[in-house]
Order: sequence, then structure tokens, then C-alpha cells
Amino acid sequence: MGKLELNQTLGKHTGRVWNVAWHPKGEVFASCGEDKTIRLWSKEFGKWSNKVILADGHKRTIREIAWSPCGNYIASASFDATTSIWDKKSGQFECNTTLEGHENEVKSVAWSQSGQLLATCSRDKSVWVWDVAEEDEYECAAVLNAHSQDVKKVTFHPNKNLLASASYDNTVKIFKEDPSDNDWICVSTLSSHESTVWSLAFDKTGSRLATCSDDKTVKIWQEYAAGNKEGIPTGDEESVWKCVCTLSGYHTRTVYDISWCRKTGLIATACGDDVIRVFKEEENSDPNAPNFAMVTCIEKSHQQDVNCVAWSPNGDILISCSDDGEIKVWKYTE
Amino acid sequence: MSHFSGALQLTDLDDFITPSQECIKPVQIEKTQTTTGAKISIGEDGSYNQMDVSGSFQKLEKVEITLADCLACSGCITSAEGVLITQQSQDELLRVFQENKKCDKNEAKLIIVSISIQPILSLAVRYNLAPNECAARLAGYFKHLGADIVVDMSLAEGFAVLENQKEFLNRFKNAPKTLPMLASSCPGFVCYAEKTHGNFILPYISTVKSPQQIMGSLLKSTLSKKWDGKLVYHVTVMPCYDKKLEASRSEFFDADSQTRDVDCVITSIELEQMLTREGITLLDMPKSTYSQPWLDGNEEIEIQLTRNLGSGSGGYSDNILKRAAKELIGLECDEIVYKNLRNPDFKEILLQNNQGEVALRFAIANGFRNIQNVVQKLKRGKCHYHYIEVMACPSGCLNGGAQARSQDGTHSKDLIVALELMYEKLPVLNLYEINEFAKVIISKEEMMRTEYKAVEKINTALNIKW
Repeated sequence: MGKLELNQTLGKHTGRVWNVAWHPKGEVFASCGEDKTIRLWSKEFGKWSNKVILADGHKRTIREIAWSPCGNYIASASFDATTSIWDKKSGQFECNTTLEGHENEVKSVAWSQSGQLLATCSRDKSVWVWDVAEEDEYECAAVLNAHSQDVKKVTFHPNKNLLASASYDNTVKIFKEDPSDNDWICVSTLSSHESTVWSLAFDKTGSRLATCSDDKTVKIWQEYAAGNKEGIPTGDEESVWKCVCTLSGYHTRTVYDISWCRKTGLIATACGDDVIRVFKEEENSDPNAPNFAMVTCIEKSHQQDVNCVAWSPNGDILISCSDDGEIKVWKYTE
Repeated sequence: MSHFSGALQLTDLDDFITPSQECIKPVQIEKTQTTTGAKISIGEDGSYNQMDVSGSFQKLEKVEITLADCLACSGCITSAEGVLITQQSQDELLRVFQENKKCDKNEAKLIIVSISIQPILSLAVRYNLAPNECAARLAGYFKHLGADIVVDMSLAEGFAVLENQKEFLNRFKNAPKTLPMLASSCPGFVCYAEKTHGNFILPYISTVKSPQQIMGSLLKSTLSKKWDGKLVYHVTVMPCYDKKLEASRSEFFDADSQTRDVDCVITSIELEQMLTREGITLLDMPKSTYSQPWLDGNEEIEIQLTRNLGSGSGGYSDNILKRAAKELIGLECDEIVYKNLRNPDFKEILLQNNQGEVALRFAIANGFRNIQNVVQKLKRGKCHYHYIEVMACPSGCLNGGAQARSQDGTHSKDLIVALELMYEKLPVLNLYEINEFAKVIISKEEMMRTEYKAVEKINTALNIKW
């Protein structure tokens, strides 16, 4: 059994806090929300405090932020239909590039592991891939219209140029670059959720994907590459993704976010029932039909919907944020 | 699944609400004014009848949204698809052919079909025919349906290229701020620019009409005296769905005659469906000929297809570059080789003058992602090209959204390669001859030009987006 202990409550934002994101080194994290600001938090005398506020980048709610793998850039996705790139070249974070193109609300933004690609998705149902060219020029590498509804979340594979997206159309789609024309194509559609898929997270190897949904479940998907030893049939050279585990009966409302710790392998979820839950894969469980057990849960972790959870790179801290305007820092112990 | 090009599919789509529910275009209903409340009853046929003061019933007009309404609205574009199905469909075309056969000879319309090159190649591959034979049998098919005259769109394509050259030289010399000049023949791009980027992009777009619309003006206005007072019904055969929207633009509607320059646009894929529905293939059709009503004798000629120099999208970039190089820097360029940039659908060519300085920068940008890159570069003032051939479909018009799909499971990229090879083998259109024609036929430049207008975003309570 594990334990989550509340370390600190941070209440600087006005209105909902939509998202928190760790700097890759784990000493700083960023938060964003309805108040159109991005706040950077770092530790001072053992306490997290808000050192920097980035304002005036967006005209509407900032829905999500993402640190580049090098930690020198922050990308922010906003309901004002733009994505902003903040860099530290002047010594402080400043917005020097704004990516336009989406028709309406941008819901999510993600960097690839190399930092060479950026993906965004929107209520306009499209997923865009941007190429980071020289001189901070961002070129549109693909506009993907594979989803039939609002796209909620995009995330890159931890070591391949593979992109996954989650949508209101109840599916998850996986995209990769087609080398013949450098366009991106949808290589798999993961259907099993019965309602909106809100978020998704790869494990540290990238061979598993966890998804969470409005259908109150969490699903674990396993990649089976062509010629896999289990004998799962695949396409020519494409992998198939199979749902190997469904966690149901735990969440009583929509599961909005999921974080898969790359250090400990623990899965944390943020739910509309105001509860934070942590799941762990049982030892000796069959990799093709794994069992996950809930190791802890915090009832009333926030006063309203929990929007986001994020494990620190070390895996010892979990941060959550909520519609109640607060960010909470939790210490995790075995 | 929408049939429009990517550029239009993405414009103001909405989730949660289906397009029909979201259509907020107010429609004016014409009915007689009453001072008191009107009594409306619903007839057995579902029609609405309004009783006026005298007690007699007047049938109320049914509210109909037209394609032109859709073009003028900043709302969704995909709901226009439902409208297309009724106004510019195979069924409508067949209905017109049928009616024309039935009615009195004096009242019958003169049905003219203009065929562009891309659908011919698409169907040539589909039915395994040589291009010239495919065109001849296609002409035969239209005659079988009841067409009076079948013409080659290449004349209008030549006119468009010549007029584009003229416009480019003029902009380069007299209005360099309006460079880069952007191609205007792709309605997907034009419509996207009007709805999404408004006055920012529009000044850069060439004001030359597309070949389809030049052909329309030619047949309906310039040559109108030829038709002995008969009403002309003009059908064009095109590689993409977006051309239907173009034909519906208010600029191409003649208020006097109450007709459009192009009455119906039919695409490769629809032709394939029409043939399938009749249970025939093009091979079952006799070969026929093209007419040349712009010549005095209106002689029929055996079909000899041609292409434009350069891309399969009309060859604008190559033709303009060739002329500009000659007139602006005294350079004869016989071979034009582009360099692929980030992806093969965005390529450029830089020409140096005698001093070794880059004097002409041209590019071809196909597909929606590259439209984005062009638009964003323009917005940031980092677009240094003089001319960009912009098309909404990846690989351009040979890969138009309404070209016939591959039959034998051939990868669509292989199909495009096959079409490109076929295109390259065609003899090049003689622009000099076309220019001589133009001097005789085109009395005024306006006939070749059009204009664009930004579509204002509607902000009404009905249209709030959360």
C-alpha cells in the first residue's frame, strides 16, 4: 500500500486551474488556467512558491502547458485558438512565437522527445504537427483530420516519433510520419471506450498506453509489433494496440487525466468525483493480461473536479489541480 | 465524410451540433404583407399556405439555403454539402438532359459541356484508355445523354495562363507590395482565404478568373450571339468538388439572364458513378469530337489533348516564371527545376540575374499544411517569394479531391504518379496560338478578372461558441 500526504496547497490562480507540468529536471513546475496566466513554481526554504507569472500571452483560458525536453521552452495551448511558445533567451520567459491555424479552442500541446516536433489539437477536430525549424520558425508538417469530434489531448511516444491523440469521438488514434512525403498518417485507431477519451499517457518504454474516459474507466493498451511472439496478428509492418486491462468500478465520474510515472510505474488519475487515485501493476501479473490494484486514494482531494495530475520526474511528488482554483502538492510514500 | 478539399473541411466545423442545426443564415421569405396576424395552414403535401384578408390562400415559399448563401456566411462550410447534392448533382444534370429532350425544340436549351484535362486522365486510368480516346468517348457519352456541344477547356486554361502572366508582370513592376502573387484557380484556397484570413490574404491573390469561370464567361457572354437566342446550360467536368462552390459565387451570376456562367459542375468520381449506374463503361460509348464554337465555322475536330507547361494544376508557376525571366531579367529558361523544401508538396525555384543576384523567387505549395505555412509566413512578413502556385489538394489538381479512386487497390500515391506521367506525355499547348485567339476573342480584360471579399465573422447570440 502506498500513501499520498498533502504537503502544500497553492492558491494563487483565480478561477479553474486546468493543468500543471513539471520541468524535466523536476525543480520547477508550471501551472495554467482560466485566469490566462502561466505560473512558475519553485522551492524556497522547503516551500513551493510562485516566482514567475507569465501573462499577456493569450486572450482566453490557457488549457495546457508543456515544457520542451531541454527545459528552455514552454508551449501553451489556449482557448483563443493559438499556441504560444515561450523562451528564456532574454533571461526571462517571453512569448516570441505564436502558432495560428486552429479554427477554435486549442485543447492540448505536446513536444516530441527530441524537441524537434510539437503537436496540438483542437475543438476543430484536427491534430496538427509542427516542425521546429531553425530560428524558432515553426512549420506546419501535417494537419490530421482523422477524428470526427473534438480532440482533447495529444502526447508523443517517449522515444519514437509516434503521436497519440484522444477524442470526444471515443477513440484514441496513433499517427506516424510517412517518409515518402513527410506527411503524417493515422496508423491505428483504438476503440473500446464508450464515451469521450479525456487523456492518455505512455509508460516509460512506450509499449503501453493508459487512457482515461468519461465512461469512468481507465484502459491499458499493449503494443504488439509485427511478428510478436504472442502471435497477435498485425498489419504489414504496423503494430496493433490491444486493450489488455480495463479498470472499472473505481471512478464514480469522468476521469479527466492520467499520469504514468516513468520512474515508479505508478498510475495516478484525476477524476470528476474530486478523488485522486493511484494504481499499481500487481507483481507477477501476466503482461498480456495485467492486473492493476488501487494502492491509495484521496477522497475530497479538492473541493471540485480534479483536472490534472502530474508525477514529478523522481516519482516522489504528485501535483494536482482543480476547478476549485487550487494546486496541491502531495508526497508519495510506499 | 465530406468531399471538399482539406482546406474547406477544416473551416469552421463544429462538434456537438450538426451543421444543419448550426446553420444560422437568416433567410428572407417573400410573402405578401398583412397588417393583422396571418393564418397559416399546412397543406396535404406538406406545403405551408397563408390565408390573406380576402380569405384566399397563398402558398408560402419554402425556405432554401443556396450555395451562394453558404459562401456569404462565415459559419460552417460543410453544411453546403447537402445543398450541393440538390443543386449540382448527377441527378440534377440527368434531369436537365431529360427535360431538354422532352420539351419543344424552340424552348430547348443549348447544352454545352466543357471538359478539363485532369478528369480525362483520371477516367483514362480508371477505364484503361489512352487519353485522347478517353476524351473522345467521354464526349460521346455526353452527346448520348443529350449534350449539343462538347468543348475543350484548354482554351480557357491558356487564356488564364496568359492573363496571369500579364498580371504578374504588372504587379512586379508597378505594385511590388502586392507580391507574392498567389494563384487564384483553386476555389478551396480562395474560399478558405476569404472565410478565415479575410483582407489580410486577399490582396495577394491573383484577380484572374479560374479557367472554369473564363470558359463560363466565354460561352455565356462573349459568344452569346452565336446561340440564336437559345438559353445555354453550361456543364463543366472538373477534378474537384470545390469547383461547385466556385460556380455558385455571386460574381459569376448574371442578374439579367438569371443564369450562372457555369450551371452545373460534375466531377470525375460522379461521372464514374453515373456510368456504373447505367451499367456501362466508357468503352461502350462511341467516339465523338470537340467543337470550337469560337471559330467562325464552329468546326468539329478530332480530339488532340494538350497540357500546360509545368504542373498538372494549370502550370501557372512555370509559365509565369518563364515569361518573367525573359521580360524582367532577359533570361531564357528552358528547363525549370524546383527544389523540394521540407516536404515534396512545397518546392521553390530561385532564378539569378546576370549579376548573380537572386531576382525571381517562385514556389509551388500544395495541400492544406503548406497553405498554412504560406499564410503564416506572410503574416510574419517572412514570405519572400514573388509568386506561389497554391492548391488545396496535396500534389495539386491531378490529385483533386473528386478524381476517381484507384480500382485495384493501387496505393493512391502510385495512382498520382501514373496520372503525372500521363500528363507529362501530352503535347504542350501552344500559348502563342492561344494569344492570337485571345486578341480576336477577348474584347475586354474585365471578362477575365474577378474579385474577392472577406467574409465577416457573424457574432450573434445564435452563434456563440463556448
